[in-house]
Amino acid sequence: MSAAAGSFGAGFAWAFRRDMRIAWRHPGETLLVIAFFIFVASLFPLGIGAEPELLRRIAPGVIWVCAVLAAFLSLPAMFATDYSDGSLEQMALSPHPMPGWVSGKILAHWVASGVPVIALSPLIGLQYGLTPDTLAVLAAALAIGTPVLSLLGAACTALALGARGGGVLLALLALPLFVPVLIFGAGAADAQASGLSPAPHLSLLGAGLIVAAVALPATVCLALRIALD
Amino acid sequence: MSHAFYLWMSYGATAIVLVAEIVLLRMRRAHAMKLVEEEKDLEAQD
Amino acid sequence: MNINWYYFASPTTFYRLAGRIAPWAFVLAVITGAAGLYLGLVVAPTDAQQGEVYRVIFIHVPAAWMSMFLYFVMACYGALSLTFNTRLGAMMARSLAPTGAMFTFVSLWTGSFWGRPTWGTYWVWDARLTSELVLLFLYFGFIALANAFEDPRRGDRASALLALIGLVNLPIIYFSVLWWNTLHQGSSVSLRGTSMHVTMLWGMLAMAFSFWMYSVGTAFTRVRAIILERERRTRWVRGLVAGAHS
Repeated sequence: MSAAAGSFGAGFAWAFRRDMRIAWRHPGETLLVIAFFIFVASLFPLGIGAEPELLRRIAPGVIWVCAVLAAFLSLPAMFATDYSDGSLEQMALSPHPMPGWVSGKILAHWVASGVPVIALSPLIGLQYGLTPDTLAVLAAALAIGTPVLSLLGAACTALALGARGGGVLLALLALPLFVPVLIFGAGAADAQASGLSPAPHLSLLGAGLIVAAVALPATVCLALRIALD
Repeated sequence: MSHAFYLWMSYGATAIVLVAEIVLLRMRRAHAMKLVEEEKDLEAQD
Repeated sequence: MNINWYYFASPTTFYRLAGRIAPWAFVLAVITGAAGLYLGLVVAPTDAQQGEVYRVIFIHVPAAWMSMFLYFVMACYGALSLTFNTRLGAMMARSLAPTGAMFTFVSLWTGSFWGRPTWGTYWVWDARLTSELVLLFLYFGFIALANAFEDPRRGDRASALLALIGLVNLPIIYFSVLWWNTLHQGSSVSLRGTSMHVTMLWGMLAMAFSFWMYSVGTAFTRVRAIILERERRTRWVRGLVAGAHS
């Protein structure tokens, strides 16, 4: 029996639905991310003191650092379970082209970790006293930047699959790559708050997203092949 | 802090780091040689 | 004439070649380094604005150049090793990483001690400094990933891919002073000409060449050690040690 020719779209949809279903049935991971985001963002005013001017200034940076950490903490879940129980190998053997279902997994990761952060950022931003226009720019920056984090994170996770040194190694790989996204994302909101245009920052983030979306899924596939051989 | 301090800290640290790299490299080579000898002894025992 | 381009692609032949080149590379490094230091510390005039402390430039700029250049070469070797599945390409990439990390550290350290008297601060989170720091962590990540697996080949290939991903950081470092209004000064040396005093320029170039030769020396020495470690079960390696003992 000849295997039906797989397609990018079919593989993408399958992987996305599967990972979303898993996340839905085991909401612990996602809720942890959301809880972490809220707790940490709330800890800063407690630690630094609730001086409004100071909070307004640090808000974009703080929220972005929390977004980065939230993206980072949910990275291992992308491939680890599937790798250890062998389903990743099965998926690699499927007729669907690898970039397809890999992209589906990455999108699922973003929906579970990035979208909650984007949705909650206005609330946290209000807590820090940000003005509506800054909130909007911050949410936009997060919307463009968090998928980049998911894409970069996927590449790092795939490279480090099954390695000794676990979480620390992953941090060493992922966080330096996250830094430019953090800088431009927070910079966009800072610019808006200072009265300058956030357009350069947002454009760079957008360009980064395009390059990442085009180049990284194939890179992740190569990294997975290296891991599975 | 006089300017001499900054110059010494810069050139000095560079010198230290260069020497350290050479020393570590020699240690690595010695260790590699030792591994080869151990491998030879293992084979001689067979 | 048929050139066998793959002749030196085997660890066996490359081991001897590297062994012959490395000492000469070190000799050149010492000679040009001495010349560069002489030019930089004795001949070059005192700077009108910064006085003597500007002489850090003779270490700082060559080290920064090497930090980027070595990463680029390392990524190239990584690409070669992935494309052609050669062991030696990966071994060369591994040999370059520690030296590259060292020069990145030197660049950051000397830059910091130059910044304190001139800008008033040891550190600032501007584009160039931040991306150079990211480069240091990329080196560390490369080394860590390469050594994180039982199977060295897995480490070879994973780290090669990581090096390629991180390659995007190099243009950011290089063009950062052009793209953003940063505290770090723009480039005064380009292919078209320079605005600095001629002895300063030559001192810097001599030091850059010296660092380059030093890197060749260390990389070739290190790759020889790696070849010994990895190929220790082969006859030719065991023969080397026998030769050393007889």
